Amino acid sequence: MTASGERILHATGLVAGYGAAEEILKGVEIAVGAGEIVTVIGPNGAGKSTLLKVVAGLVPARKGTITLLGADVTRQGAIQRARSGIAFVPQEKNVFGTMTVAENLQISAFADPSGARQRAEALYERYPVLAARHGALARTLSGGQRQMLAMAMGLMGEPRLILLDEPTAGLSPKAADELFEAVVALNRSGLPVLMVEQHAVEALAVSHRGYVLVAGRNGVEGEGPKLASDMDVRRLFLGG
Amino acid sequence: MSATAILQALLNGLMTGTLLAVPAVGFTAIFAVLRFPNFAVAAYATIGAFAAWWVNTRFGLPIIPALAVAFLAAGLAGAVAEKLALDALRPAGALTVAIASIALNLVLENVVRFAFGNDLRGFDLPIVADLRFAGLRVGPQQIQSLVLALAIMAALFAFLRWTRFGRAMRAVADNADLARLKAIDPALVATVTIFLGAGLSGVGGVLIGLDTSIDPLTGYRVLLAVFASAVLGGLGSIPGAVAGALMLGISEELALLVFPATYRSAVGFAAILLMLTFRPRGLLGERAA
Repeated sequence: MTASGERILHATGLVAGYGAAEEILKGVEIAVGAGEIVTVIGPNGAGKSTLLKVVAGLVPARKGTITLLGADVTRQGAIQRARSGIAFVPQEKNVFGTMTVAENLQISAFADPSGARQRAEALYERYPVLAARHGALARTLSGGQRQMLAMAMGLMGEPRLILLDEPTAGLSPKAADELFEAVVALNRSGLPVLMVEQHAVEALAVSHRGYVLVAGRNGVEGEGPKLASDMDVRRLFLGG
Repeated sequence: MSATAILQALLNGLMTGTLLAVPAVGFTAIFAVLRFPNFAVAAYATIGAFAAWWVNTRFGLPIIPALAVAFLAAGLAGAVAEKLALDALRPAGALTVAIASIALNLVLENVVRFAFGNDLRGFDLPIVADLRFAGLRVGPQQIQSLVLALAIMAALFAFLRWTRFGRAMRAVADNADLARLKAIDPALVATVTIFLGAGLSGVGGVLIGLDTSIDPLTGYRVLLAVFASAVLGGLGSIPGAVAGALMLGISEELALLVFPATYRSAVGFAAILLMLTFRPRGLLGERAA
């Protein structure tokens, strides 16, 4: 159940996997409300990243339904879902390394190029580090800068929902803190966020709600900060 | 060996390399997006050469509009052949498609042979004396071809850098999954790339044919050099293909100063061997070839 009234994303009974063999997701349900940050945590192999890929349309759902703003998008592929307003920022290979920062932003407005220049300018103001390096090849950016660019690329399409797959993976503690701040600032501008994170305590602390996935199924769920301080969750999943 | 002979070889190499760069760019563009070496570019070069020759000799079309016809004919042949013959094989992997492209090349080459015969054909061009300066010799037709090749490559670079679809091609070449997340359709980009790559091969076939004559083996004769240029530059790198073609053209001409002309193609083999041994990703390639 979402904290606010309007439900942006609702996925129910999701079953999915890679190839013909194993099922990674075995009936997952998840919802994101308007203005929410929702974080999914869980042990390795729980299906967190697969869940985001299914929502983004990169991995098809074998069973279950996904609705975005009430419209069924289950049968849509990744291209259509991007056009429908779902932006997915993968954990790795999330920028076009052979293109400049400016080109990465431009190409991310492929579906709707009108007003792309203004959107890029607004993002340069929000993330000055990208403005400073707009002519640099994306592969030359630091880890933190690359994540900022990946997130900015997601925003170029003016999404209705952004999915972040372990955005702080491989970042220094300082860069990770900056990234969490950027996620919160992004959310304050009205964009709902669905995030998978290894830094579970920090992520839950800034989230409205959280889900714990266990072996491809829903485990515990609740308000983010409460979940972060839940002793059972800490002991079982967060190493606390 | 005189300094003039070396300069003449360098000049010839520059001419040869620039002409070679056009089909090499087509070949490497197809590799960059579809991730397999499409050896049917040889047949597309031949198809382009014959299409231009036909409109040039039958309708008296000048070379520049004939080049446009060559681009369209070869591009269309490439796009159709890709859909009919190669597309369904892609799930089987790059090696299978590469081998199939060799078979496709033979089929298309024989279609040209069936339609036009085996005879050598020459373009209808005015006979003009070579230009001579400082002991060097160059044909006006060679200069025209050089300028056309440079203009075509400049247009291609502008397309890739400044147009929406050109950037989409580069994005798919870089990371097709991420491109999909940005609402770019890699299948559409692949079709356009095949059209463009085959079309450029066709134009290359004409430019090479203008220098001598054409026959159904026109493309096949330069296939090794085209492949070597792309490998030298780094498979998938368009600036690399240009650099590789220039390097190969100049190396071949310089080698002719020392070795008999029959060893010319050995330069291509040696170049591939050396590059793959010491720098597998090529001069400007992003990853190992």
